Amino acid sequence: MDRHLLPEEIDQLLDGDVGFGTAPLKLHVRACAECRAELDQARALVRQLEHLPHLTPSAVFADRVLQQVQVFVPWHVAALDTLRGWMPRTRTARAFAWTGFGSAAVVLTAVSLWLLTRLDAVIFAIGMAVGRVRAAVGRGIGDVVATLFGSTAVHAFQTSGTVGLWVALTVLLLFAAITARAMRAVVAGPRRR
Amino acid sequence: MTVSLPIELPSSYDLSTLPDADVATLAKEGREAAFRELVHRYERPVFSLIFRMVRDRETAEDLAQDTFVRVLNHIDRYRPEFKFSSWLFKIANNLTIDHLRKRQLDTISIEGSPHAATTAEAEATSVDVRSQGESPLEEIESRELGSAIERAIAHLRPEYRSCILLRHVEGRSYEEIAATLDLPLGTVKTYIHRARHELRDALAHLRT
Repeated sequence: MDRHLLPEEIDQLLDGDVGFGTAPLKLHVRACAECRAELDQARALVRQLEHLPHLTPSAVFADRVLQQVQVFVPWHVAALDTLRGWMPRTRTARAFAWTGFGSAAVVLTAVSLWLLTRLDAVIFAIGMAVGRVRAAVGRGIGDVVATLFGSTAVHAFQTSGTVGLWVALTVLLLFAAITARAMRAVVAGPRRR
Repeated sequence: MTVSLPIELPSSYDLSTLPDADVATLAKEGREAAFRELVHRYERPVFSLIFRMVRDRETAEDLAQDTFVRVLNHIDRYRPEFKFSSWLFKIANNLTIDHLRKRQLDTISIEGSPHAATTAEAEATSVDVRSQGESPLEEIESRELGSAIERAIAHLRPEYRSCILLRHVEGRSYEEIAATLDLPLGTVKTYIHRARHELRDALAHLRT
């Protein structure tokens, strides 16, 4: 190399670049006192920069930051935390708990399998239960309607079927909403004055 | 006999051994200890970078605080495939550069504006880094900021300053600096090259 190193080439050596390009540069530095001095100066500057200390903010800095940070706990993390809170603390208690859960799981699985083998009986029992619940709910609604509006309304309700039920429910809800609004107006009235 | 839970959260001791990405993930889950750990890890580097840019302790604290508050309040946006520190330094640098642009402090150094034509003008625009009632630590910092190299850094353009500080004080690679400052790699190399050159020139009188 018949010239001094360019500033970019000094930077290359300074950054410790490796490769074919740097070998002749290194050779030149060994032979050229001027370029060696230039590189040494650059290295000294880098050393000085690297030894600049980290400065410390005030002691209350972290607290001031954290006061302004909104810590948001996602629902699944909160749920997991709750579960963790329920976990027994000691190994013995955990062993008991797991044994209990395991036994319950085994019993439930066995019962489910037994019910599956008798699916027709299960469907029949569910149908019967649903029918009874429906009849009980119907009787309850009938009683309420009879108390509020008399037996004529019950008869009308029974003859009109599902449509009548929806109409009655809508009227009831409207009535409740109007009543609630009127009561709020009555309560808020004296405060405005 | 009491033993720790198998799914117990890491204690504060454990947090200090975790990589940034894991601590940030815990912060995303709303763990307050993780937020504190992130502040603890980076308060000094972030504050140092900003302090060397603005050269005023109070402003530097405010900007560093804004940086952390902004980052930690948006921790849900952090993607672990990127370096947490690069994100943090990016916000810190952006806030600082914005501040310098607004206040035009980029021309102010402890020795006064480099654009000052007379000594009186330079004195009028100089910043006294030693305020009344400084703690011993602040006195040391003031002395450090007053050293030749600190003064030389203060005279650099803010863009050069960010680059040179990230490269040599924080030990970041050129690629990281480019990503942090949203600059092309070539521009970062040029800035660092020019900053080194200006610093060497500024410190030349010490060698003679």
